[in-house]
Amino acid sequence: MSVELLKITDLTVSFPNKDGSLHTVVDHLNLEVRKGQIVGIVGESGSGKSMTSLAVMGLLSEDAIVDPCSSIRFNGMELLSMSGDERRKVQGNTMSMIFQEPMTSLNPVIRIKDQVGEVLKLHTDLSDEEIYKKVEEALNNVGIHDVPELMDKYPHQLSGGQRQRVMIAMAIINDPDVLIADEPTTALDVTVQAQILKLLKKINEVTGCAILFISHDLNVIKEVCQRVIVMYKGVIVEQGRALTVLKSPQHEYTKRLVASMPDKAEPQISQEKILHAENLSVYYPVKKGLFSSGAKHSAYVHEVSFDIYNNEIFGIVGESGCGKSTLVKAIVGINKDITGTLEINDERPQMVFQDPYSSLNPAKKIGWIMEEPLKLKGVRDRAERKKLVNEMLNEIGLDESYADRGISELSGGQRQRISIGLSLMRGDKFIIADEPVSALDVTVQSQILKLLLKLHDERDLTYIFISHDLNVVRHMCNRIMVMYLGRVVELADVNELYTNARHPYTRFLFDSVIGEDAKKIPEGVKPAEVVETKGGCSFYPRCRYRCDKCREQMPDLIDIGSEDTSAGPGRPHMLRCFKDITKETPEVNRISELPEGKLRQ
Amino acid sequence: MKKRNYYLIIGIIITVVILVFTIIGQFWTPYSVTATSSSLKSLAPSAQHLFGTDNLGRDIFSRVMNGCGTTFFVAVCTVAIGCAVGIVIGALTGFYGGMLDEVVMRINDIVLSFPSVLLALIFISFLGKGTYNVILALGVLFIPSFARIVRSEVIRYKSQEFVKSAQVMGASNLRIIFVHIIPNTKVSLLTSVAIGFNNAVLAEASMSYLGLGVQPPVPSLGRMLAEAQGYIVSAPWYAITTGIVIVLIILGFSLISEGLRVYQD
Repeated sequence: MSVELLKITDLTVSFPNKDGSLHTVVDHLNLEVRKGQIVGIVGESGSGKSMTSLAVMGLLSEDAIVDPCSSIRFNGMELLSMSGDERRKVQGNTMSMIFQEPMTSLNPVIRIKDQVGEVLKLHTDLSDEEIYKKVEEALNNVGIHDVPELMDKYPHQLSGGQRQRVMIAMAIINDPDVLIADEPTTALDVTVQAQILKLLKKINEVTGCAILFISHDLNVIKEVCQRVIVMYKGVIVEQGRALTVLKSPQHEYTKRLVASMPDKAEPQISQEKILHAENLSVYYPVKKGLFSSGAKHSAYVHEVSFDIYNNEIFGIVGESGCGKSTLVKAIVGINKDITGTLEINDERPQMVFQDPYSSLNPAKKIGWIMEEPLKLKGVRDRAERKKLVNEMLNEIGLDESYADRGISELSGGQRQRISIGLSLMRGDKFIIADEPVSALDVTVQSQILKLLLKLHDERDLTYIFISHDLNVVRHMCNRIMVMYLGRVVELADVNELYTNARHPYTRFLFDSVIGEDAKKIPEGVKPAEVVETKGGCSFYPRCRYRCDKCREQMPDLIDIGSEDTSAGPGRPHMLRCFKDITKETPEVNRISELPEGKLRQ
Repeated sequence: MKKRNYYLIIGIIITVVILVFTIIGQFWTPYSVTATSSSLKSLAPSAQHLFGTDNLGRDIFSRVMNGCGTTFFVAVCTVAIGCAVGIVIGALTGFYGGMLDEVVMRINDIVLSFPSVLLALIFISFLGKGTYNVILALGVLFIPSFARIVRSEVIRYKSQEFVKSAQVMGASNLRIIFVHIIPNTKVSLLTSVAIGFNNAVLAEASMSYLGLGVQPPVPSLGRMLAEAQGYIVSAPWYAITTGIVIVLIILGFSLISEGLRVYQD
């Protein structure tokens, strides 16, 4: 048997157009995966990377046409000439796939233990008891903490990270030879992302299972893959060792991919406050049943204080559940259930939403959507509204013909442009952008960020920029506020924060960034959903530098003074931590996450 | 490749053909709709009388052409009442939720748990016989099914970001509900209008059959079916032809609603 585990030659996949002509999505693709290798395929959506993986798994939709000259050989066997049943027999035991969306790829009505054990039920003759034992082992191996409890749960009771771990457990339970991972971390938080990648690498090391890793994120690819293949419009444009390709890209497209990070504007912050928040808490009704009298309240944001100055780009960073979206809802006035002070010196802040697929009304034409803010503002003259919409369309890099189009005809990037234009239609200067690019492809991301920066300069806008992507925040923002479980833990100028982060959580976030400093990823810290503290610092359970004092008392947010003076002398640096950690502070709390060598019994 | 939506196409063809005949039937029919003739009593279908004649010598084809109009009129009005009020109730309860929602939806459940013809009978016994009373009774009974569909659609859409976006722009709740959200329920509403129309045609036929709806001599399909019952042996074509037309109307709308379902996702 050769060392080539999977060999694809001349794979061509096309789809018929309405008029009967063919539209080729994968064009004469050649690629091989050797035993134990991790090969990455990178490219934007529509590049054919997912079609390739579906072709390998035999999951292409029925109308897809695979060219008869194509060949996919697995362990020397030709997969394409097999019948469906034969193929399933071969693949069920030796190939697995991890899908992008942990939300939709688990069956919502089947318990976790049965779902993970399904493949064993199909391909082995183990008894139920033996299967459950194996399932338990597999779940332990993917770093799930409370396995016995989780076995009987349903997918909706799990967090996104847990679901992705369950998916991986499902994929490795049968000791496959090849694992196909299609954007396995795209839908996850940055900290969870790092853990999942580490887990995949570990599985590869321990079991020797080859991985075909598909992603649009170069940092992720660089982190896990030995070889990388760059696809563009169905064709491989470049391939080679991951580090070589990404360091010195040859092809135009790869270069564009690697260089797709925008330049930041010079900070020109005035001293005029546009927003002033003091001891602001935001509440959420917990339950409103038929018989419960009055809603119970629970604060999602606890006594935050900060100012935002005219013309600055203010970043808010934190994991999902840290309260950033709740805070934003209070600022734009959707959630009025607040205590403390919140003053805004602008008529009404406007918002750019995260998901361009749900933030625009699918039943309406773009022109109508963009005229709506004008109607609400009281612009009665139809011709005047049309004129303003056309001007805005030009400004956001589209043209007037878009006014007559429906939302479904637009790509994600175009939709996000519309979203941005929409937020500016009323002429407001204060814009809140809630993860405006996290749902987009990398190359599109940089275009949207550039557009945001251009509009910021031209129109003297002020942004609150929310993101979990620290690379993006660094390039966009002047000041950054880090939030953890509803509290501000650190707030400083961008350069200060990136050179002199003092809070253990900020450090942890930076360490989780995949890329340059990947080696610094901390040895498994428990995910946020597991823990809660009463009275003490909310980060205590996950903190690597904690002491006894932290357990009993919540530290105050105090100004420790900025060390970095690039934004002027005497700038504040707010920090909520007892321990003034420096780079040399020893870590005291290491929780080992994945026992070595336990994967293959 | 996308398959042709044959359900929708065939459904529309059937419905359009019947509608054309019905509309013509309101202005012109081959024979008089009401004039009786003892010499033409109970003739079997022939080239002169396509569907034959009834026990009073009236041309059944002419009466069906004209009677469809009554049936359609009742069905359209019924669905219009049910749909309009249903949208308002469903949209408001779905959007605001809370106590009001609970109460209204429980009333809905109660109404839906009885057969609508039975409830209509009770209404009619209070309101009295007649076309307009039937419309009113059926219309009210059709409200819950529309309210329920609109409510679930509104709940589905109200958490979407475009609703938040409209809130941020400063749109009022009523504007958000009726201008932003309701247009999105178009497809599911169309489907249920088609189904509702079906049920209304059936309900009108049943009410007239029981003698509670349209009063003679105005023809209506249900009324005619009731009359035909007495002559099922001597003039079977009377019941068969009238019945087939009712079935075709229902089939047309069923196919349309089935065809529309494809667009729901």
